[in-house]
Amino acid sequence: MTMPDGIASPLAGVAGTSREASGGDPDAFETAVRPHYANLVRRLVVVLGDEDDARDVAQEAYLRAFRSWDRFGGGDVRAWLYTIALRLAFNQRRRRRRWLAAIQRLEPRGWNDTTDPDLWVALGRLDRRTRTALLLSAVDGYTQREIGLILGVPEGTIASWLSRGRATLRRELDPGG
Amino acid sequence: MTNLDLDLDARLAALAARAPGRDDPPSLTRRRAGRLAIPIALALAVAATAGGVVVAVNQLVRSYPGIENPGQPLEGANLECMSPHDAAAFLAAHGYANVIWQVESGAVTGPKDGNRSVQQATPPEHGYVVPTAVLDDGRLHIVVDQRAGARGSGSCVGMPMP
Repeated sequence: MTMPDGIASPLAGVAGTSREASGGDPDAFETAVRPHYANLVRRLVVVLGDEDDARDVAQEAYLRAFRSWDRFGGGDVRAWLYTIALRLAFNQRRRRRRWLAAIQRLEPRGWNDTTDPDLWVALGRLDRRTRTALLLSAVDGYTQREIGLILGVPEGTIASWLSRGRATLRRELDPGG
Repeated sequence: MTNLDLDLDARLAALAARAPGRDDPPSLTRRRAGRLAIPIALALAVAATAGGVVVAVNQLVRSYPGIENPGQPLEGANLECMSPHDAAAFLAAHGYANVIWQVESGAVTGPKDGNRSVQQATPPEHGYVVPTAVLDDGRLHIVVDQRAGARGSGSCVGMPMP
């Protein structure tokens, strides 16, 4: 799944900051997008489990979003940014791993949550897309339909991922339950 | 949704909030976007195409390019507008004593067989300065592009080669 620079917001029409609402001011990009950057990096760290990967992807996503700003159709800026970043993460990470492996260097700088290690380990049992869907649901409050639009998969698939993901976490965190 | 799910959501939110994240994005005004993109692309391209520079590639991918961006060590320095010697003097004045100068020669277009990449401790006489990254060991990595057809980067792209 490739991600064109000119991606339109999958959630156009959903309430939020829009390019139109900004009056076309070029500086509106940073005003609209900057507040979401730190959370984007954090989300990517959890999704990818690697700080360097997360920062690389966040930076690239920001650049792509900037290049596409003129074509942003309005709507939820955060969802638009997540769409670019998460799809980029699922693709770029694979390319980067292949490249690193090719030059025989594969040393991710993983991040571990030591405050809630059981949850961190349990999250690690999930595939990245399921983990992402769970975060978008539980942390960011997106609906299954919205998550489907962000990740580019049918709503029913998201429902399945969420159900399976929660079941896995329950089993991992409460094995006797 | 069960109580366990509600508890799970709260724990997920707390975990996500603890994950490391940078407060500020890279500067993305149009001028700065070019500055960010070109050094990364050039540094990776020249490193990847030149033989014997796997070490440089290894170091680059573990570091954070964009050292002239806001919040980075050399914000606003505009090293890409300086000659290598002027850049070296600027860096020395700012405490960067340990600099790797990676000199790229050859041509931007055409066969890459004649392209060379040499790392050295002193700045070369001429070439476009392309600041890239502070490496994991604290050394500063600077590419000097001497290739025929090179045009510089960042805010001084297109200027005559120093």
